[in-house]
Amino acid sequence: MSEGRILDIAHISFLDMIKVMITMSGAASAKGALIRNAINTAEKIKEVDYATFDDFLQAIENSTNPITQVEGKATHQGEFVFGLANCPFGPSIKNYMGVFEKLPEGYADFTEEFNKPSKVTEVYRVGEGAGVSPFCSVHQPMRSAIAEKILIGGKKIKIYQLGCKAGSGKKGLADRWIAETGVAREVVDKTLDNHMCCYYLKIID
Amino acid sequence: MGKKEKLKKILIVDDEEDMIWSLKRNINKDRLHVEIFTAGSGEEALNVLSSNHIDLVLTDIKMPGMSGLDLLLEVKNRFPYTLVIIMTAFPSSEFKREALLSGSLHFIEKPFDIKELRNLIRQALREDNVFKGTVAGVGLADVIQINGLSRSTTLLRVKNGEQLGIIYFLEGQVVHAICGDLEGEEAFFKIMEFKGGRLDSMSYSDLPAQTIDLPVEALIIEAARKMDEAGFGHLSGYECADVDLDDEIVQKMSIPEFRGLNNGSGTDFNLTTGAQSVNEEDEMSSLKEVLSEFTKIPGVNTACLVGRDGFLLDSIAIAGIDTEMIGAIASNGFGASESMGKQLGKGMMSMSMIEFANGPIMLAPVGDDAVLVIVADKDANLGMIRLKIKKYAGKIAETAAM
Repeated sequence: MSEGRILDIAHISFLDMIKVMITMSGAASAKGALIRNAINTAEKIKEVDYATFDDFLQAIENSTNPITQVEGKATHQGEFVFGLANCPFGPSIKNYMGVFEKLPEGYADFTEEFNKPSKVTEVYRVGEGAGVSPFCSVHQPMRSAIAEKILIGGKKIKIYQLGCKAGSGKKGLADRWIAETGVAREVVDKTLDNHMCCYYLKIID
Repeated sequence: MGKKEKLKKILIVDDEEDMIWSLKRNINKDRLHVEIFTAGSGEEALNVLSSNHIDLVLTDIKMPGMSGLDLLLEVKNRFPYTLVIIMTAFPSSEFKREALLSGSLHFIEKPFDIKELRNLIRQALREDNVFKGTVAGVGLADVIQINGLSRSTTLLRVKNGEQLGIIYFLEGQVVHAICGDLEGEEAFFKIMEFKGGRLDSMSYSDLPAQTIDLPVEALIIEAARKMDEAGFGHLSGYECADVDLDDEIVQKMSIPEFRGLNNGSGTDFNLTTGAQSVNEEDEMSSLKEVLSEFTKIPGVNTACLVGRDGFLLDSIAIAGIDTEMIGAIASNGFGASESMGKQLGKGMMSMSMIEFANGPIMLAPVGDDAVLVIVADKDANLGMIRLKIKKYAGKIAETAAM
């Protein structure tokens, strides 16, 4: 076995645990459990107040921004639209695929479940088509929940998940959030050409 | 007693003059305050009934011409508020069954103790502490629940067109049922399938058999399940006449349809509660209002609606209950039950109940995306909760629709 095919045991355990959760309690319940975990993690983040939007962007550049600390550096595409070049779960997925050549069974159902309208996806403005893998159900709500800990100029911010791209290149767009933010669909699509994740940041007046 | 009692009218029907003479002489002893009419045949009895408001008919079965059973049928058709006690020197279970199914209040075998007969008459004519009248829109299951709650020993005669059934209660438990050729649970479930009709509640002196030992709640749940399977989906639509509801029973009931019954001492009243109930449902706009229908049931302290993902949509809970946590756990519990059912090929889940030392927790799907969680004390009426879940599941799903 080459070094590239060494299994990430922590990751495979996580994947298998999700599979067990789906089998035991159904995809909806498993989705809820993962989202709750993600939100609980976000709760531990300390609140931070950036004086200006530029300071917020600078914190991303410096990797001191709480969102960046969780998912890596995102790039501001202008008009408060951000693109994240790498999915934080990408290396683990690649690792798993490298060994087993396919994702575990039930993941498509889980992803579909995440994209269904529900109270929690509405509150955190995620899913609705923007989920392309089960990991999106952890990543997207976590980012939105972390954003609740961030202020810009004393004002709260909200994040809207506009779209996401799977390792296969397939894009998932959240038409509901795209419509709500008024961002052009073409902008999201274009951002996803070069990024894995696309979101919008709204400063609440 | 300051109020002058209205004299009750009894009609004795027998072809034996000695029997009529003896009964007439003895019944009025012991301050029964009744006016007695007599008839030597069924035909003559009908003439008396046509010209007098008779409260109670006491009839022999075997008479020349119209038999006592034929008379009973005529009385029930033409004078439905007149009570009938059947007497016979030739008892048979078939006679008895036919008489009871036809609406006889009691079946008494000759020779009988006159004191026993007087007691039966007194009991039958008693109405100073009960309500009598019509309650439209009441459900058969509701009436069964009332009998259960009030620990009644009574029989419930259920009539739907040509279909007839009798359910016997002994201290609130359903102990026997007959319907056509069926007996026991089979008869009970058959009666529960009747789509509306007429209910008569009456006391009985002799339990023909004890064929049912399931608790009332379990019977109702099972009946509801069978109706679901059969695609009936109804648990109401009865017109309840002569159902005696005493103050205590009404106070015990939490169903809004029954509120207002316990507000007077009169005996003749009509309620259009079925229609009122529909209007109330129409007006229920908030989820909390619908959930409150459950917390109105004595012993139910918490009602929550949670998404299948475990996130709380709304709740009414007693202090100290973490409803957010209930949601997360209930989602797991419900999901686990549902998965087990799927694995075992049991189809769609309709309800899950987990019993604990201090009471049950009931979980029921509401639409495709939510679960209703009811937390109750151990004394709560499970049948009532089950009925309300069936009644309000659609409304909750509609109100909760995002």
